[in-house]
Amino acid sequence: MTTESVTAKPESPARVAPSVLAGIGAFAAVGVYVLVSSIELGLWTSLGPGPGLFPFAMGAVLAAMSVVWLLQELRRPSETAEGVDRALVIAVVVSLVILAAVMDLLGFQLSMFLFLMYHLKLRGGRAWPSSLITSLAGSVGAFYAFNYGLNVALPVSAFPLLNTIGL
Amino acid sequence: MDIFNELMGGFAAAMTWQNLLFAFLGCLLGTIIGVLPGIGPVAGVALLIPLTLNLDATGAIIMLCAIFYGTAYGGTITSVLLNTPGEAASAITTIDGYAMTRIGKAGAALTIAAVGSFVGGTIATLGLVAAAKPLGELGLLVGPPEFFALMVVGISLLVALAGKSMVKAVISGALGLLIAMVGIDPVAGAPRFTFGMDRLLDGVSFVAVIVGVFGLSELLSYRKGSATPNVHAPNLRSLLPTGKEWRRSAPAMARGTGIGFGLGLIPGMTGSVSSLLSYGAEKKFSRYRNELGKGAIEGVAGPETANNSHANAALIPLFTLGIPASPTIAVLMGAFLQQGLTPGPTLFTEHSDIAWAIIASLFIGNLLLLVLNVPLVGLWTSILRVPTTILTALILLFMVIGAYTINFSVFDVFVMIGFGLLGLALRHLDIPLAPMVLTLVLGPLMERSLRESLEISQGDFSIFTSRPISAVLIGLGLLIIFSPLLKLRKPKALNEDPET
Repeated sequence: MTTESVTAKPESPARVAPSVLAGIGAFAAVGVYVLVSSIELGLWTSLGPGPGLFPFAMGAVLAAMSVVWLLQELRRPSETAEGVDRALVIAVVVSLVILAAVMDLLGFQLSMFLFLMYHLKLRGGRAWPSSLITSLAGSVGAFYAFNYGLNVALPVSAFPLLNTIGL
Repeated sequence: MDIFNELMGGFAAAMTWQNLLFAFLGCLLGTIIGVLPGIGPVAGVALLIPLTLNLDATGAIIMLCAIFYGTAYGGTITSVLLNTPGEAASAITTIDGYAMTRIGKAGAALTIAAVGSFVGGTIATLGLVAAAKPLGELGLLVGPPEFFALMVVGISLLVALAGKSMVKAVISGALGLLIAMVGIDPVAGAPRFTFGMDRLLDGVSFVAVIVGVFGLSELLSYRKGSATPNVHAPNLRSLLPTGKEWRRSAPAMARGTGIGFGLGLIPGMTGSVSSLLSYGAEKKFSRYRNELGKGAIEGVAGPETANNSHANAALIPLFTLGIPASPTIAVLMGAFLQQGLTPGPTLFTEHSDIAWAIIASLFIGNLLLLVLNVPLVGLWTSILRVPTTILTALILLFMVIGAYTINFSVFDVFVMIGFGLLGLALRHLDIPLAPMVLTLVLGPLMERSLRESLEISQGDFSIFTSRPISAVLIGLGLLIIFSPLLKLRKPKALNEDPET
């Protein structure tokens, strides 16, 4: 027996990652919510299965599987995946939400132009000419290609001033 | 003769200039998706569904099918030139494909891969022609109980798509079914899980969900450090393989066609499994097996033929039985449904003209890809030189347009963003996404047929066992579902399948 083996502490069991616990909790909560809601919808009618039967079964499956997953994790915690690039996630999601919120107001061309400029120039650090050309092609170019080429109408601005200049 | 006439009618419909244009555009876009690492075929097909919403059903499905098998061609290019598979089914091609690039034989590798893909794809499509009529005639015998039984077989494929954890796969499948249930109940007309929002009465848009879960979440999970690759296209003269290379490739293509076709018919098997097993077959049976791994042409010809043969053969269960054999085919099935076509036995009785036009277009598409792929290799490689920031911005642009144009409402853009975050969370928790797309597509069909059947039988469940076709199919579905309990081991290739 070496000194090392005497002094080394036994390896503490790995713990369940908080994100995994949060995930299991969320799935269990959704399962229980669906179970309760589907009973209100009605499980069986005189004609056969009611609108709540299928969701009831799925809610039960989701809740039960969440419990099984929790038990599996408690017995042997799984390795968590690598973290995400938070800056990228925030930049993409927030810019998409803003774009969706203003698209009907500013129109597709202007809002998409600003969105692309943000991703190419501000976030991507591309040169001005490359950013401007790509943004114009992706906004004005896409608008005309979809409207006249594919007969798919993209939104125009709700502001009369912008509308009159073709935005 | 009957089949021949129907197929000729299909060719006549598929060869209008509009449908040829759709097939051409589909091949082009599919190859680009295949070339771009990071966008898999599932996200790619979903992303491009909105482009087809305003087209007639035949043109739309022709274009989406071309996108689907175009990805299988495109994935090869980066595997051979960059050692980076554009899509999972081409991963094994990197071994000998890239080794051939290093010894100056990239052109021959790409040509053999394209010819192998053409051979495999065309032979598998001939199989579809042969199977279509006899299986399509089943359509006359299919009522709600049989349809429900088919859906049970379809849902049972969740077992094959489970990846590492069955529990996580079932969670993913249940989530897909719950998402599909949002909106007006198809039989009683009661609103379900709409939270008082009128916009949800029609349900959550399938396209917005798929684009979010597969496309946006993939983009959100990108990591830093992906530099623009330095890639050189081979010149035209080097694209011609030598006589010896042709002779060596022929047996590998034959084996690849057989493996891809056989596995493509089995729901739950993905193209990756076919290409892996084909490479395994070359290691065992090729006369030049000792050269494999060092730039042997068989290592490219076999797997590339197999994955394209698989892609086309996997359309047989979809067209004839309505069973999506892989996640990408499930998305394709969703596109059929959006166009008012229900794939399966009834397709050939109710929309025979459309079905045969699509089948004919598969032959045309395979030929187009052969013609497009090799000479345009310089164009495909130039796409890889586009900086990541520009590609990301353009992909986001397509996602927004795709989500918006479903109902011409920004509500669907918000839905896409929400499901993008859900997809990111599922990826982080290592929950497979494939079962979700399967149940999302099959769930509503399954529920409707279950409830219609039970209304016919006035609540008596024996309707499913008293009719021979449904009894056999339900038995088969249950056997697949409970196969893990019978200790039936999954092949190693299936456990390591990157597509699940």
